[in-house]
Amino acid sequence: MDPNTLALFQTLAQGLLTGGIYALIGTGLSLIFGVMRVINFAHGDFLAVGMFIALFLFQRFHLDPYLSLLIAAPLGFGLGYLVQRFLLARLGDRLESSSLLATLGLGLILSNGLLLGFGAQPQSINVAYATQTFKLGGVQISLPLLVAGLGTLLAIGLLNLFLYRTELGRAVRATAQNPLGAELQGVNTTWVQAVVFGLGVAFAVVAGVLLLPLLYAFPTVGENYTLKAFVVTVLGGLGNLPGAIVGGLILGIIESLGAYYLSNNYRDAYGLVVFLAVLLLRPEGLFGRTVKRV
Amino acid sequence: MKRTLLSLTTLLLAGAACAETINVGAITSLTGRFATFGKMQKAGFQVAIDEINAAGGVGGNKLALLLVDDASDTNKALSAAEKLLNQKVPLIIGSYSSGITKPLSQYMARQKVPLLVATAVDETITKPGNAYTFRVNNQSSVYSRSLLDLFKRMNDTKAGTIKTVAVLTSNDAFGKSVYTDVTTLFTKAGYQVVSKDTYDQGLTDFRPILNRYKALNPDAVLLASYEQDAVAVAKQVKEVGLAPKVIAGIATGFALPNFLDGAGSAADNMLVAMVWNPDVIYPGAQNLYARLKKALGGEEPSQHAAQSYAAMLAAAAAIKQGGSDPEKVREALTKISINTAFGPVKFRNYGGYQNQNAVVGLITQVQGGKFVTVAPATAAKGKLVMPKK
Repeated sequence: MDPNTLALFQTLAQGLLTGGIYALIGTGLSLIFGVMRVINFAHGDFLAVGMFIALFLFQRFHLDPYLSLLIAAPLGFGLGYLVQRFLLARLGDRLESSSLLATLGLGLILSNGLLLGFGAQPQSINVAYATQTFKLGGVQISLPLLVAGLGTLLAIGLLNLFLYRTELGRAVRATAQNPLGAELQGVNTTWVQAVVFGLGVAFAVVAGVLLLPLLYAFPTVGENYTLKAFVVTVLGGLGNLPGAIVGGLILGIIESLGAYYLSNNYRDAYGLVVFLAVLLLRPEGLFGRTVKRV
Repeated sequence: MKRTLLSLTTLLLAGAACAETINVGAITSLTGRFATFGKMQKAGFQVAIDEINAAGGVGGNKLALLLVDDASDTNKALSAAEKLLNQKVPLIIGSYSSGITKPLSQYMARQKVPLLVATAVDETITKPGNAYTFRVNNQSSVYSRSLLDLFKRMNDTKAGTIKTVAVLTSNDAFGKSVYTDVTTLFTKAGYQVVSKDTYDQGLTDFRPILNRYKALNPDAVLLASYEQDAVAVAKQVKEVGLAPKVIAGIATGFALPNFLDGAGSAADNMLVAMVWNPDVIYPGAQNLYARLKKALGGEEPSQHAAQSYAAMLAAAAAIKQGGSDPEKVREALTKISINTAFGPVKFRNYGGYQNQNAVVGLITQVQGGKFVTVAPATAAKGKLVMPKK
């Protein structure tokens, strides 16, 4: 294959995998929105928390980041559970914006807490496989990037099983469709909502851990990802899980192809242009039906 | 801790207008995205102050460091300068980055108080510059020129033929300055610049652009990035399988010991252009390295610490002659000529530059997890290793 075609395929493959990570982040955000109608503005900061958990475990106990998922994911779930149970649930329905502002404030607390604990300098870990690659028909793919892509697939697959194959999953879907109705049918919606928020945060934390071998951690690393998650979610339709996945993949590919063919300088702009176009032409999102939730 | 307490006490004494201390103002980025560089600068300042005071101070007076954090923000740097000027400092050293230092130099010129630049390399800070701005460190083109010298030597000795280059820089004052240097100087020297690109600082995915470079297959890839970007781009160069004859990083993020830790094996054999490395030939360099390392609590110092050290020595030399009057200090600065472990410091007007110290550029190569100086021939401590094809 000539070098140009090869480079294009490589860019496409990497864009797809990067998009997979966006999808993982976007799914968490979309799940929370779908059930609670809350836009979690601290989503990116939870991702940063995930990165720092893995960083800390690696630096202190030399724990491999992928192994630290076993600790980080439950921690993330617990953190999200507590946040919903003792913070967001207590705000009530008095103001639409109160939960939005609460998550925004929570994000600030998280990122500044990380700043206090770990300092402002970017930190990265150096594992043997961080720069390992393998070749597939001439296309060179990074191992940690592929693991991140596969991790996304696994996480989303598990979420799907949970939502459609378990009793609790049914309760989640019921709560998403009509909280009052679910409550009347005997679903403990307060608990379900806390579980959902925990799951959403766990997704962000897992994404953070998967990103660590590829990137570097610093306290405000999440800002960019909150924005990306938001774009992904709106692309696919707010609260629409398959939409969030496709939205993530689309964003990853658009960014990569834009940076490859056009100028690298406007990388973030390509995604945002598509975002605006979707808002103008299909405000319910590419795959959204106006009433569909979860 | 003891040192912090000590400097706090000196600060307090200084605040009480003690007749026996002279305040030297300094601004750097102790927090924010340039925090690592700020930490290096602080260590350099402190080592110099300790050295001067241990040797009896300046004309019998002790020097005290008034260091203000600009939080990596231009507006905060300007208000920090105002604050320091209200405390009647005879000069200010700072800040770290080019983007902050350029406006700071213009502000200081209006206030008619000298600014000593220790780390920022943007060409336009001293070209044309102004009467109140003095740069201890090099201008950015020094890096490109030393790379050009090395490439010429490689081409002459057939060590490796370099004809085409691609350049990727961050999209800020420093990056743009390097971008202009490379695109003009390399083109003038007969090299073909096959791709020239910039990116927004903080970009995490360089893969598409590196894939493009891979297809273009240039002989050399030149990079200019701050801290975290340097690690990300170096890792991804390896990840996409981009393997030109030469990959060179222009100082800054690549010249940090952090970079070696973060990039790990991805940094192997990379060239890094800089102006100071512990293995330089200037007398006292090893000793300075040890003292800086101690001031950093055991962390490896970078060239930014050495540059700041030299700037503080230059400040002390000027204050010795000019006292506390900014105008007299400015006059003294135009005349000083000192030798430091960073190299000689003498401000001259040449080639369109004003009050610019002439600094010898070094090319180091990452060998065995360390920067080893490989060029110029007069300063080389190791041999250039070409990548195995």
